[in-house]
Amino acid sequence: MERCLTELEKRPGDSELVSEVFRAVHTIKGTTGFLGYNRLERLAHAGESLLGALRDGKLAVTNELISGLLRLMDGLHSILQTIEKTGTESEQATDNDDALIAQLLQLKDGEFVAKEAYPLHNPEGQKPKPTSHQDVTTVSSTHDKTLRIDVEVLNRMMNQVGELVLTRNQILRSTPGAADFPELARRLDNVTAELRESVMRARMQPMGHLFSKFPRMVRDLAITCGRQVRIEFEGQETGLDKSLLEAVRDPLTHAVRNAIDHGIEPPEERLKAGKPAEGVVLLRAFHKSGSVVIEVIDDGAGISTSCVRTKAVERGLLTSEQADEMSEHEALQMIFMTGFSTAKQVTNISGRGIGMDVVRANVEMVGGSVELESAVGLGTTVRMRVPLTLAIVPALVVRSGGQCFALPQSSLVELVYVPQREAEQAVERIGTTQLYRLREGLLPLVWLDRLLGLEPSADTGKADFYIAVVESDGRRYGLVTDDLNAPEEIVVKPLSAELRDIGIFSGATVLGNGTLALILDIAATGARAGVRQVAEDVGVVDAVQTQAETAQIVMESSMVIYESGMRGPTDGGNGEQMAMPLSAVERIESVPLSEIEYAGGRAVLQYRGELIPLEDEGDVLHEMRAKEGSATATVLICLRPKAQTATRVGMVVRRVLDVSMGKLLATDAAACEQQLAMVNHRVKTVHREYAQTIASTPATVLREVA
Amino acid sequence: MKTVSICSLRVGDGLFGIDTRQIREVLGTIRPQRVPLAPEYIAGVMPYRGEVLTTVCFRALLGLKSRIGSNCILVFDGEQNEERFGLIVDGVSGVIALQRDSLEANPSGLDARSMELFDGAYNLLSGLMVRLDPSRLRPSRLAESRLFGRSMQEKQGEQR
Repeated sequence: MERCLTELEKRPGDSELVSEVFRAVHTIKGTTGFLGYNRLERLAHAGESLLGALRDGKLAVTNELISGLLRLMDGLHSILQTIEKTGTESEQATDNDDALIAQLLQLKDGEFVAKEAYPLHNPEGQKPKPTSHQDVTTVSSTHDKTLRIDVEVLNRMMNQVGELVLTRNQILRSTPGAADFPELARRLDNVTAELRESVMRARMQPMGHLFSKFPRMVRDLAITCGRQVRIEFEGQETGLDKSLLEAVRDPLTHAVRNAIDHGIEPPEERLKAGKPAEGVVLLRAFHKSGSVVIEVIDDGAGISTSCVRTKAVERGLLTSEQADEMSEHEALQMIFMTGFSTAKQVTNISGRGIGMDVVRANVEMVGGSVELESAVGLGTTVRMRVPLTLAIVPALVVRSGGQCFALPQSSLVELVYVPQREAEQAVERIGTTQLYRLREGLLPLVWLDRLLGLEPSADTGKADFYIAVVESDGRRYGLVTDDLNAPEEIVVKPLSAELRDIGIFSGATVLGNGTLALILDIAATGARAGVRQVAEDVGVVDAVQTQAETAQIVMESSMVIYESGMRGPTDGGNGEQMAMPLSAVERIESVPLSEIEYAGGRAVLQYRGELIPLEDEGDVLHEMRAKEGSATATVLICLRPKAQTATRVGMVVRRVLDVSMGKLLATDAAACEQQLAMVNHRVKTVHREYAQTIASTPATVLREVA
Repeated sequence: MKTVSICSLRVGDGLFGIDTRQIREVLGTIRPQRVPLAPEYIAGVMPYRGEVLTTVCFRALLGLKSRIGSNCILVFDGEQNEERFGLIVDGVSGVIALQRDSLEANPSGLDARSMELFDGAYNLLSGLMVRLDPSRLRPSRLAESRLFGRSMQEKQGEQR
């Protein structure tokens, strides 16, 4: 009914909808009269006559009318609840609905002129709102116990149980030696698997069930806050386990309320900022690498990180140095700190934050996480990641070191088979990092068995192996495994706390053959393998420094050679050729100039859902904008090796010339210093094709020390 | 009631007993799937009634080498918020009724590991039977005490 009413507001002429609501109210009236609930009947009657007038076209659909009808619904709802709790219609004798009925009558007679008469517009009328929210939560607790299942699904389950019983009977009569025994065992296996699947599916609920509550809430809130808001949904069919669905209900409600209350600006401000008066809140749900991601995206004012920083320092949560060192991303996450969220003045300034710590606490309780992204003036995204404790995910089962592991298909990019005869040449080494040449690009390799401390089943280079190219959380690497098993739909089972603490397994699953396989968390595995590389690289800097002082040692390394924006002393028009350690460059991107945005005078780029600052030596961007012809800028995505948090930075370059692994003598001390300045931007390894002609002068060469 | 029914188990040369009321189920030989990088005393995980059961290897807790051959897995239910877990022992002998007052406290001078694991001993005619308390053998508790098997991670860290 709620849905019908909010839809009715959008499409006032839809008589189908009116009839639907009318029928619902009529049914309530009829049933309650029959059961002797007089109070309920009176209210329903008042509503029915109003709806009747509407249906007959005597009234036009207005905001006030819809609000009145929604209040009627709330009234009916609260009486029903009282009945559920106490068995009688009213808790106190004073409870009556005269006011509401009078209002409905007024509406019907079209006598409403004075706006004060309508609760949604008068300040007192807003007060019931919190209570109605509480009502919602109490209702949801009773909803927990019941579940609506498609009769079709239930029938299928019953059939499967029947088949299971039959198979059991046959097995009981058979003996392990009998000829038909394997056949029976297989059937039993099938039936059980099917049954398990049906039950799981029955537990899965589409996100749409949760989303359906929002149009009404958004409507009411928007009116209260004086905003114009439209709510949109995406991925309503995404399945999530029933229990988890309940768990994310409150945090999601909170996030949506925040988006409307603090995110979306009042219509006048929006118009001033050149945006349409009506704000949009988008609720989006999708599966990603073993979890369900739910995003609340608004196109409101966004959060100014500088305000967050100042506020954090003022409140003594950070020192000013800490605040300066923080990346944009880190600063935004401050919003989740408890001290932050409750303070009203912060809310006014930063635009957002009431109860964000509560949101986070709630989501983390079910093992999820919350992230926040925001661009000033463009809007804010709250992203909740909920594990699919019971969800079914497609996965590829691989073998390594004699054990099975499951890789979620969502993070799998491609599979490469390396036959025995090529195994030796396939792997290239730079220092301790091993790389595979995948279509001109270099892919860092991670040996699963070595990483996990398993006994390697065979010496690499002597046997064939598979590379699963995986990508998650911005890390892309090749996972080397001994063998691939079939892809399977796996049921994720949680691990106990002690095993979760290891950090690289997101769960376990029972495979078709009855054995267990651990599910790898691709991002965490990469981080584990990658972190080690970072640590080694930092060590290299020191080693290089000491070696540079002695100055006569042959150094080798792979470097990205590029043409920077700085004018070289010799080659007039062209930029100076510079080098960057390959390990520091994560990606080389061609970015359309239109995608580069400016925040506070600094060029920034939205890169994989992250905001990264761009360093533009020699104003290449400016130059390119002036020249009409060039529409894309080349950006090296580098990782800053600061502490544990890997923050990215983009280097705008004129073009990338080459990746070269040369051997050269570093003799010039001055040049060395320059190289080292570049070396500071180092971390991992490159993986992308750069089809550029080979340049003749590698500018610098460094050696990675094993 | 003066008697308690005790399930007696063998691990290495030792005789141990656990109150039968605390045991949910005894399973025959199953090799749990090892979990890489997990602490040594975690024998691995195994499927159990649609769940993944974490198992603790009692031999590892006692500092004995793992052995090949038959074993038994005792399944304990979680109390309150605790998770269910399994304990791997060499074998289960049987159930015996014992006098409650034959229980002696842990002797002083016992080493720290044993102090942590044992819960007194029953004085039998044939010898002593060490009483075990499942709640002391919980993986979460073992992880807290840090007395037992370092995880592979720490080992690797040491090697470096």
